[in-house]
Amino acid sequence: MKFQTTDPAANPSAIFYKCCTVDLRNGEMKFADVPCRNLEDVLGGFGRSFQDLAKRKIENAYCDQNPLIVNTGLLTGSSAMTGMRTYFSGYSPIKGSKVGLPAAMWSAGSGKFGAKFKWTGLDELVFENRSEQPIYVVIKETETGPQVELKSAEHLLGLSTHEKIMALQEKYDNAHFAAIGRAGENWQNNYMGAVALSTENQLKSKEDKFRFAGRGGMGSLMGYKNILALVAQSSDKISKVSEAVKKVNINVIKGGGSARIQPLSRGGGGGTWAAYEVLQEFHAVPVNNFRPQGNAIPEKLFRENVEKEYDIKSESCFRCGITCHNNISEKNADGSKGEFLAKFDYEPLNLLSTNIGIHDAGQAARLIQLGDNYGMDAISLGVTISYALSYNERHPEAPILNGATFGDYEKIRELVIQTGEGELPEIGRGSMRLSESLDETSYAYHVKGLEIAAYQPETNPGYVWAIAGGHISMGTYGLLTREGKSDLESWVKGITEDKLHIVGFDMIGLCKFFDITKGIGTQMVVDCLKSEFDLEVSAEDIRAAVRRAFLRGLALELRQGYSKAEFSLPAEVSENPNRNIKLPNITSPEFFEKLQKRVWEIFEPELEDQ
Amino acid sequence: MKINVKLIGLFRTGRFKQEDRQYPNGPKVRDIIDVLQLPQQHFGIVLVNGVHAGTDTVLSEGDHLVLLPIVDGG
Ligand code: SF4
Repeated sequence: MKFQTTDPAANPSAIFYKCCTVDLRNGEMKFADVPCRNLEDVLGGFGRSFQDLAKRKIENAYCDQNPLIVNTGLLTGSSAMTGMRTYFSGYSPIKGSKVGLPAAMWSAGSGKFGAKFKWTGLDELVFENRSEQPIYVVIKETETGPQVELKSAEHLLGLSTHEKIMALQEKYDNAHFAAIGRAGENWQNNYMGAVALSTENQLKSKEDKFRFAGRGGMGSLMGYKNILALVAQSSDKISKVSEAVKKVNINVIKGGGSARIQPLSRGGGGGTWAAYEVLQEFHAVPVNNFRPQGNAIPEKLFRENVEKEYDIKSESCFRCGITCHNNISEKNADGSKGEFLAKFDYEPLNLLSTNIGIHDAGQAARLIQLGDNYGMDAISLGVTISYALSYNERHPEAPILNGATFGDYEKIRELVIQTGEGELPEIGRGSMRLSESLDETSYAYHVKGLEIAAYQPETNPGYVWAIAGGHISMGTYGLLTREGKSDLESWVKGITEDKLHIVGFDMIGLCKFFDITKGIGTQMVVDCLKSEFDLEVSAEDIRAAVRRAFLRGLALELRQGYSKAEFSLPAEVSENPNRNIKLPNITSPEFFEKLQKRVWEIFEPELEDQ
Repeated sequence: MKINVKLIGLFRTGRFKQEDRQYPNGPKVRDIIDVLQLPQQHFGIVLVNGVHAGTDTVLSEGDHLVLLPIVDGG
């Protein structure tokens, strides 16, 4: 970025981001220092990419006009804690409206790729059209600025995400990697391809410990464009941490905001996995396709039970003190650590275990590992499989696919493999398409075509207004369970004011654990921007930019043909209320109708400005 | 008076899972948290007889109190 002002809110056009546009059809590249249109452009991530996506009318995600935009946030690669994020944006193959138009989507991931990308001197890379041959793309720092090269990737074809990263690591030092797996290569039949992002830990240990930009099939879009991997090669730009940023970082670690995500050994809460124990108290841990049974079955995957048999190690991304990864390995007979299996984050763990009837930690870990190596979004994969299992439970006389049922590990494993290989479009194209083809849509747990995260929809009507997946773009998933709010006013306020601010993290380059309750419109972020770039911007201006970006996303959904009726929860939630969930009912048709009316009354006038 | 206290997740470490405990008459939830020395930064949810409550809630004989750490998925 180039800064010719200290006031990004009043004078954004005096700030420039370095963008390279690559035409994959002929290899032509155009570098430009692009003046920012507004504060959203300065902050970056989807705040910028969605403005560009909005300029295009895309009717099919797999078309030449649909770009893949890779960018970072303003604080990616900075000394602010968690500043590791990379964003992938484009029109999604999996998320789409009933009229058949694809939704704009972004997906974010940590690891060290984002920082390396930023340190090459590039802020954004836009891929137009598609390559005839499989390629990988090298972005490198040179004395004259960032350079981009397209290379043949024939030798990477057919490798897993981890194998691709390992193969590229042999050739490129001082580099980090973003790779798709076979799922993304099989984009025709797999719309849930993810992008794996390498971590320092992975490159050192050679174990498959990556992070993912998983949601919305951005890996499938990358596969359609015939890009198998990205390499970001640069020296590490680690400046001395200023006193101001040091104070912020200490606050992130000690101030309480991230405490629950930190390792138990450091007095933390043990990562997102700990949500199992809390949600179980309400019988709100998803079981067998989001039908909690009011029993103790989810307890089998409580940490205290898993650690008896498996080794659990807390690890982190480069320089992050939050250390949120819970890495599970086999335990040798002598108690020492054996083969690495997978990371246990709440979402992938639940959706590839308890919610498909698997209650064995080793089997769950193997399924997560398999999905990661094929490069599939664990949420879309798990939820589409759980739909199929539920269908088979309801139709024992005429099951679909291989006849798998809840808990049948071998058959479920077969489904994961076939999906990753592109042999099972029924699963690979997501739960909306599968349920419509079977004419049984009420228990397909997606909202607007994107599978929901591992929070029961009964606890989160806010899913409906999330613009890029339930838990990353609408922070209402704890409003009932955590805050005990079951009144209409609290939900209207949560959706239209406070909780939409979670999307700010997907602009600026930070993880939401930086300050999950307050978002990015805070003094901590103001202090970081002043210290890192000498920018003077108020918390209010940042909050206004985040709100504009969110509303732009909502407006874009409507433009892509979503009717108001599609802003709804899976029908089973109201048609067959689950009495086992021990929380007030906030998804009755009456409550939801009132909520819809109030929320649209607030959002709609603002959408006209978008 | 007797309160049935249940602890969830990391609050159990070095304490207990669930037990009947004796307290002086009319304790507030906060008093019980203090006695148990639960770590402040993790403190999240209070349920009294299955309903969300605050730390100022005054407890009665035989109440069932559940103390949960804060939750965040991802
Ligand atoms: S919070 Fe977790 S995912 Fe984010 S940078 Fe830190 S260790 Fe990585």
